[in-house]
Amino acid sequence: MATEKKDVKKIREAVKRVKRATYTPVKPDMQLGFVHNNVDCIGCRACEMACKDKNGLAPGPRFRRVQYIEGGTYPDVFAYKVNMSCNHCAEPACLPTCPTGAIFKRKKDGIVDIDSTLCIGCRRCEAACPFGAPQFDPIEKIVKKCNMCVDEIEAGRKPYCVMACMMRVLDIGPIEKIWDGSLETVAVGKADKVSRQVKNMANIELTKPSIGFVAHSKGKVK
Amino acid sequence: MTKRDINMSKTPDFEDLQQRLNLSRRSFLKTTAAGAGIMAAGGLVELKFGKEAKAFAYEPYPRDDQLQTVVTSCAHNCGSRHMLVAHKWKDVIVRLSTDDGRYQRGGYYGKDGNEEPQLRACLRGRSYRQRLYSAERLLYPMLRVGERGEGKFKRVSWDEALDFVAKKMIHLKNTYGPTSILDQSYAGASYGVLHKSDQIEGLLGRFLGMFGARTSSWSVPSYQATTTSSRWTFGTIQDGNEDDTYAESKLMIMWGWNPAYTFHGGNTFMYLRMAKQRGCKFVIVDPQYTDSASAYDAWWIPIKPNTDAAMMAGMAHYIFSNNLQDQEFIDKFCMGMDEGTMPEWAPQSVNGKENFKDYILGKYDGQPKTPEWASKICGVPAKDIKKLADMYAKTKPAALKASWAPGRNAYGEQYSRMAAALQAMTGNIGKLGGCAEGVGKAWHAEAVAYPYDQYANIWFQSIKSDRWAHCVLNYPNIKREEIGLWPRQDNTDGQIPNIKGIFWQGSDWFNQLTNINKEIQAIKKLELVVCMDSTITPSGIWADVLLPVATHFERHDVALPWYKGHYYIHRPKVIEPMGESKTDFQIFTELAYRIGGDVFGKAYNPKANRDYFNVNDNVDEAYLREWWEGKVMHHQHVDMSWDEFKKHGVYKFKLDRPHVAFQDQVEKGIPFQTPTGKIEILSSELANIEDWTKTKYGYHIPSIPKWIEPWESLNSPKTSKWPYHLISPHPRWRTHSIFNNCAWLRETYEQEVTINAADAKRLGIKMGDIVELWNDRGKVVVPVYVTERCMPGVLVLHEGVWMDLDKNGVDRAGNPDFLTLDNPSPAGAFAYNTVLCNIRKTDLEHRPGWDKLATSRAHVFRRDD
Ligand code: SF4
Ligand code: SF4
Ligand code: SF4
Repeated sequence: MATEKKDVKKIREAVKRVKRATYTPVKPDMQLGFVHNNVDCIGCRACEMACKDKNGLAPGPRFRRVQYIEGGTYPDVFAYKVNMSCNHCAEPACLPTCPTGAIFKRKKDGIVDIDSTLCIGCRRCEAACPFGAPQFDPIEKIVKKCNMCVDEIEAGRKPYCVMACMMRVLDIGPIEKIWDGSLETVAVGKADKVSRQVKNMANIELTKPSIGFVAHSKGKVK
Repeated sequence: MTKRDINMSKTPDFEDLQQRLNLSRRSFLKTTAAGAGIMAAGGLVELKFGKEAKAFAYEPYPRDDQLQTVVTSCAHNCGSRHMLVAHKWKDVIVRLSTDDGRYQRGGYYGKDGNEEPQLRACLRGRSYRQRLYSAERLLYPMLRVGERGEGKFKRVSWDEALDFVAKKMIHLKNTYGPTSILDQSYAGASYGVLHKSDQIEGLLGRFLGMFGARTSSWSVPSYQATTTSSRWTFGTIQDGNEDDTYAESKLMIMWGWNPAYTFHGGNTFMYLRMAKQRGCKFVIVDPQYTDSASAYDAWWIPIKPNTDAAMMAGMAHYIFSNNLQDQEFIDKFCMGMDEGTMPEWAPQSVNGKENFKDYILGKYDGQPKTPEWASKICGVPAKDIKKLADMYAKTKPAALKASWAPGRNAYGEQYSRMAAALQAMTGNIGKLGGCAEGVGKAWHAEAVAYPYDQYANIWFQSIKSDRWAHCVLNYPNIKREEIGLWPRQDNTDGQIPNIKGIFWQGSDWFNQLTNINKEIQAIKKLELVVCMDSTITPSGIWADVLLPVATHFERHDVALPWYKGHYYIHRPKVIEPMGESKTDFQIFTELAYRIGGDVFGKAYNPKANRDYFNVNDNVDEAYLREWWEGKVMHHQHVDMSWDEFKKHGVYKFKLDRPHVAFQDQVEKGIPFQTPTGKIEILSSELANIEDWTKTKYGYHIPSIPKWIEPWESLNSPKTSKWPYHLISPHPRWRTHSIFNNCAWLRETYEQEVTINAADAKRLGIKMGDIVELWNDRGKVVVPVYVTERCMPGVLVLHEGVWMDLDKNGVDRAGNPDFLTLDNPSPAGAFAYNTVLCNIRKTDLEHRPGWDKLATSRAHVFRRDD
């Protein structure tokens, strides 16, 4: 990549300027977010299946995506998983791109959702999201994405993917608590640290995603 | 369209939520279950309004609390058994969830932990609705009209189908005798205490046995090596610990074991994580750096396939020569481990003169089985063999989990027995945190609610399961040892079965046994092929009659844990049987009435009447209640009534102490179940065999564990022509061949062959290229996954993909069993992983089916910094 040649700081500032000029994000009373343990995840994708089934998705769109990362040279190899759906970002890049205002962010818990009755399937949000969260449904010709199983949250339960995790390494909670390690969750082991940024994911400065990870030693960013 | 009233007055955020879910617009369509429409549309047809209300709808969007909740479970032979919770609207299952702690007695949302862990379903379980409502769902009886295998069928009535089968069965029995019908039932698609498709004692076995024509198949495809081995060594196959005990190990050696793929046991993978958090060290001996290796941060020891017994012998040598063995344990519990533990009769026995230690030290053949010797065979550096042996001998407690896959090999039983010898010499048997697995079956469930009597397992001949084609093609010019004939005590002993028909119940064996091209030759010689299943499987394509079987969502049953775990899950009839499907119990009962009138009908299903084919609910309930009250409540001291159990949906046992195999033997001195009451490193059964051809093994087997060169491996001269060793492990995204048609699963994983990056580079093969794999037996076409995570010289192609032949007999789907050999190991193990072949880039057609949606490879990222 040619990043060294560019003035990253300058670019970041420019991005901020543009964002402020176009959109002031909703400040939620409390922001919910995900936490995923990249190391202990076995990559089974039960979470993905639970999501597909709950949302009645056709083959194609995948709200939750367990990414497989591997490297090294035989026999000295490593592998880990980075699991993401929608990060319900503090500054969602998708939201301001929507021409019909179908995308909104909840005041109460910061969940970002799309009103499917307003979506015209222009796919701008899909292009704007640095994490690949909005998913185009080629049959219904609209964009759909994770809404953190808002119906389950309203019912006092946790999302389907979280409750599906065979290893109990995926969870949700108030994102500040996830980041400062005060959330009580078995997803994070006693010796584990939670990081906001890991390799193989876009720069968190772009949208301030509400997600934390237990990073693999090879997936840590300095 | 009718609106559904939702009382949400208690929800404070009512407006917001209504907006979110847009309930006024997402109101649920009233649906009518329409069997006929389901298959065509892949969903449900709204008849009244002519609008579709699919089982897979993004909208309308009912919340769980608006739907009816029914606890049920998975029902196939995956090696586990998890809870599924159906959320249904009228007769349609709208979505599935899983155990969240709420359903057992005293449970609440979120309850989890060691004592009563949640039984969370895996990706296959979660995709079940796709299987239930799939286009491949078999809804009506069908009769073949084209050539066998051509896939041309016509829909017929049940009357016509059953009369056809009944007449043919009678004809076969009268013409060819009591061995003419081969029982190929398996736990594939139909496993419960009542509706049980079981290889040995299931509903089909009892039906054919009573009818008087049954050749049975005795060897189990997945784990026959360790089954035979554990019977010899421990006298039982209940050699397993419950999965929570894994959390107590200090060292876990996962030999060919990948629970991240197989989910072996209810919560195995989770307890292993617990062990890791407590400081347990993990080692993986496997040709692949599996997801289990990465998740448990294991030391990866790549090993050449089919050489495991040699490496273990090297470890044993290190342990003996450094005097690291637990001699006290050996002296107390083992027979034949060393000179001091030899039985008195040994010198007089036919095969029992040698002891294990002297074999390892090279006293008999002049070849000490040193780590250096082993290294040359297995490809593992001698220093690593020593290091592992040292760790295993010195860490207490340590678990050597000898999984099934390395046993699915030529002489696989030697690997299983060698592992048992290591487990015993380090004194890790019968101890919490140790391991004697093996088979791994642990807690014992009450497994039988169907009628069980003297007819439960009648057979007139019994053969090694993957030798049926050989038997059919060569009849009668075969020796009994070629087909592993089980001895009989009457004058039919040794008679070669004259197989003229096959029954498949809950099994897709035609797709799953070895050397499919040979099977194709053989099936053409048969006069009757019956397939009972809920899905049109590749086997079904080769059948004469297809009988639609109701899935476990459509009949009443109870699930039992398959491998580990201690619980029962109620499986009520969640929806009505789809199409014209019937339960297998109904089908056999009806056939019994048609063949033998009231006498056969009543004997086969004593609680039923002639109308059972149409009304089965009360009879099934009566069997289940009797089983619960008589066996579960009585034998297992459960105080929950049947009605209460049905209300909860699950019963989880709380054990007095962690279940560890052989704990009482070791702590209280109770004899092992072997003939001598010892851990038989020297098998007294084998030691005294004179004529091997008269045994089910057919060929000589050493009485102590020994390294035996397989008929093909990376060490054999055949590699000049076939340089790659192919293994075919169990996939994660199918249970054998089940779920292969589920698009959700196929978009996350694709059928592909794994190859080492350096091998691929040399061959000019890149990630995603289409390659052909071939040997003398057949040829398959698949895409390739290039990785550093696989040992050079090894190819990995997962079993179970649905075969798809072109006109030249090339399989365009990539089923490895076109390349495997139908030559079982003497102890009966299928040699699925003893395969040499070659690989090259190809222009041949690959037909991915749903795989064209697969994005899995797009989600593997390589990074080198
Ligand atoms: S929160 Fe719900 S919608 Fe989002 S990924 Fe998880 S299951 Fe899917
Ligand atoms: S269910 Fe859990 S362990 Fe499995 S892939 Fe998802 S996050 Fe990982
Ligand atoms: S492991 Fe087996 S029982 Fe459990 S959910 Fe998966 S397929 Fe079903």
